Amino acid sequence: MKRILTAAVTATMPLTMCLGGAGAMAADVKVGSAGGITGPIAELVVPIMAARNLAATHVNEQGGLLGGGTYQLVASDSQCDPKAAVDAGAKLVNVEQVVAVLGANCSGATNGMAQSVTIPAGVVMLSDSATAPSISELDDNDLVFRVAASDAYQGRSLAELAWANGYRALAVTYANDDYNAGLAGVFEAAFAELGGTITASQVHEPDKASYRSELSTLAGAGGEGLALFAYYGSSGITILRNSLENGLFGKFLGADGMMDNSVIEQIGADTLRGNIMLSQPASDTEDVSYQAFASAFEAAGHNATSPFVAHSYDVSFLMALAIEKAGAADRSMIPAALRKVANAPGTVIRPGEWEKARAAIAAGEDINYEGASGAIEFDKNGDVAGTYSLNGVGDDGTWTTM
Amino acid sequence: MDQLYGIFLYAVFLLTMGGIYAVLALGLNIQWGFTGLFNAGVGGFFAIGAYVSAILTSAASARHLGGYDLPVPAGICAAMIASALVAWGIGRICIRLRSDYLAIATLGIAEILRLVLKNEIWATNGARGISRIPKPFEHVAEPWNQVGMLLLVFAIVLVLYVLLERARRSPWGRVMAAIRENEDAARAAGKDVERLRIEAFILGGALMGLGGALMAHHIKFIEPNVAEPVSATFLVWVMLVIGGSGNNRGAIFGAILVWTIWSATEILTTRLPSEWATKAAYLRIFLVGLALQIILQKFPEGIFRERRFQTSAASVHPPPFNRENTS
Repeated sequence: MKRILTAAVTATMPLTMCLGGAGAMAADVKVGSAGGITGPIAELVVPIMAARNLAATHVNEQGGLLGGGTYQLVASDSQCDPKAAVDAGAKLVNVEQVVAVLGANCSGATNGMAQSVTIPAGVVMLSDSATAPSISELDDNDLVFRVAASDAYQGRSLAELAWANGYRALAVTYANDDYNAGLAGVFEAAFAELGGTITASQVHEPDKASYRSELSTLAGAGGEGLALFAYYGSSGITILRNSLENGLFGKFLGADGMMDNSVIEQIGADTLRGNIMLSQPASDTEDVSYQAFASAFEAAGHNATSPFVAHSYDVSFLMALAIEKAGAADRSMIPAALRKVANAPGTVIRPGEWEKARAAIAAGEDINYEGASGAIEFDKNGDVAGTYSLNGVGDDGTWTTM
Repeated sequence: MDQLYGIFLYAVFLLTMGGIYAVLALGLNIQWGFTGLFNAGVGGFFAIGAYVSAILTSAASARHLGGYDLPVPAGICAAMIASALVAWGIGRICIRLRSDYLAIATLGIAEILRLVLKNEIWATNGARGISRIPKPFEHVAEPWNQVGMLLLVFAIVLVLYVLLERARRSPWGRVMAAIRENEDAARAAGKDVERLRIEAFILGGALMGLGGALMAHHIKFIEPNVAEPVSATFLVWVMLVIGGSGNNRGAIFGAILVWTIWSATEILTTRLPSEWATKAAYLRIFLVGLALQIILQKFPEGIFRERRFQTSAASVHPPPFNRENTS
């Protein structure tokens, strides 16, 4: 027993010294960057973390925060699990003493971390990909924001787009996770409200080798196409392949969880062209802000079409703007500043324009960040309204706005 | 000063979570440590407890069953009763199975329970989970809200420890050990082995339900993922085995030690540059595995050995239970 205790004490000593050292550099500003680094959406989170870091690089290369301080993102693994997220949040807020938290990614992790850690501690949280409607309802003292629109918007928007494109009867399948299940529920209700028919609706578990039995049940009920709510890697691509190979469905609708170039690479651009429509939150690929982000992100060696990366860049950049606007690395001043720098009116700032933003803030001007993922105007719940673009496979074999 | 205060608050969180896991480990200790029942479905009882307490205590919502607004203690009691009833049902069917078969059966049943909770959307809101679960002391100012929760969890652990130590020393506890060591001998001595095994299964199940309920109130949000096997079943097994199965102090110590390793290793990996962050998370899981291997190699019977009623050369120790890291 004694030996263990000695070992434990020796092991923690350099740690505490290390922590003490970090506090001495007052100019650096630490912001937590929580994400599901390990766990069920690990493959989506690699580019998400890279996009947050890219924004931090832009800030630091163009003069840094609060008169030369480094904008430092402290990564923490929320594992897409509320238990782990509460633990990750407790470390960020208390041990790392961050002034704000970016993330988390999954709605459940975000919900747990917000309610149990960040709201009681008075730390603002800005998520890039939590879309559950329940997050709008938290008693959050205006401390929880997100730039990903609630599913209540995207499901409705996709239903309207489907209706406008002539679909009247659709089969629905969705992966049984919080994101896709919520989206499918809103979509079905909205499509029925418009006058459309949902011929059949079938939930599926992700990561199965084949979905033929689910798909033949769905195809048996008829429908002009399949509305597919899934992440591309865990079930989306398999469902597309099974449907096409067996001639069960030829037309597909989906949301941004499917929007990755690997879908086109694996299924084939010619097969998909004209047969698939995906809605994606705002980022109009022709938009100046999106282009500014996408070219920088591609130049850094990442894939700008990966789900939510534009949002991830935006949360990181927005938080830097808010801290600069607040004028101090002070937890209590950042939430109000966040709303100010995101919402109109003000000098328009786009991704990467840190130097311009810094000058404008120094001159006392208002800022209006126009992000890569959309205009970003927070409402009273800290939510953004969803505007969506419709994407298909373009002539060059990549996802293109239609 | 802020830094010290921060570390203090983190320690509060760490110990609260460790304490909740200690409740789960004590439950498993009754089943495996005392009686030798291989329950590989801890997560199932955990989930029942979490959901029952969450549904009974949370405010009304259109998305799931609820709106009963019961006080938290009532929710926790109901959670224990519900888990005990489920354990009774499972026990009636499965308790005759030999240990490894019981493991397979309970593993399957826990997965069934989790999938039912995930798919009965009218009651549980499915994968979207139940939000805004009340937390004891949440309206008190920080840090006393978190400290209050910690004290509550530790008070529960202490009460359980005292009661279980008494149970272990009592004739009941000695019969349990006898059943574990030699079932036939216990039966020959006139003990109703089946009934006693079901009793241990129910008592353990009730404690796992209690652990689940405490977790739901601590994190204020519950979804089916929370009960997935790695962090709700196998982690509890690792805690008990490292602490020392059969020893209540070992169960508590193991839970807190393993949770500390699980959580605090991240403080080290966040020191790495941010570009490494996604890789560092996996490095951390490797570190956790390594630490557990070292402890198991050093203490093959757990850190706290089981205390025997009498030490004779003939007494048979349970075989060392050496499991690969579950992550």
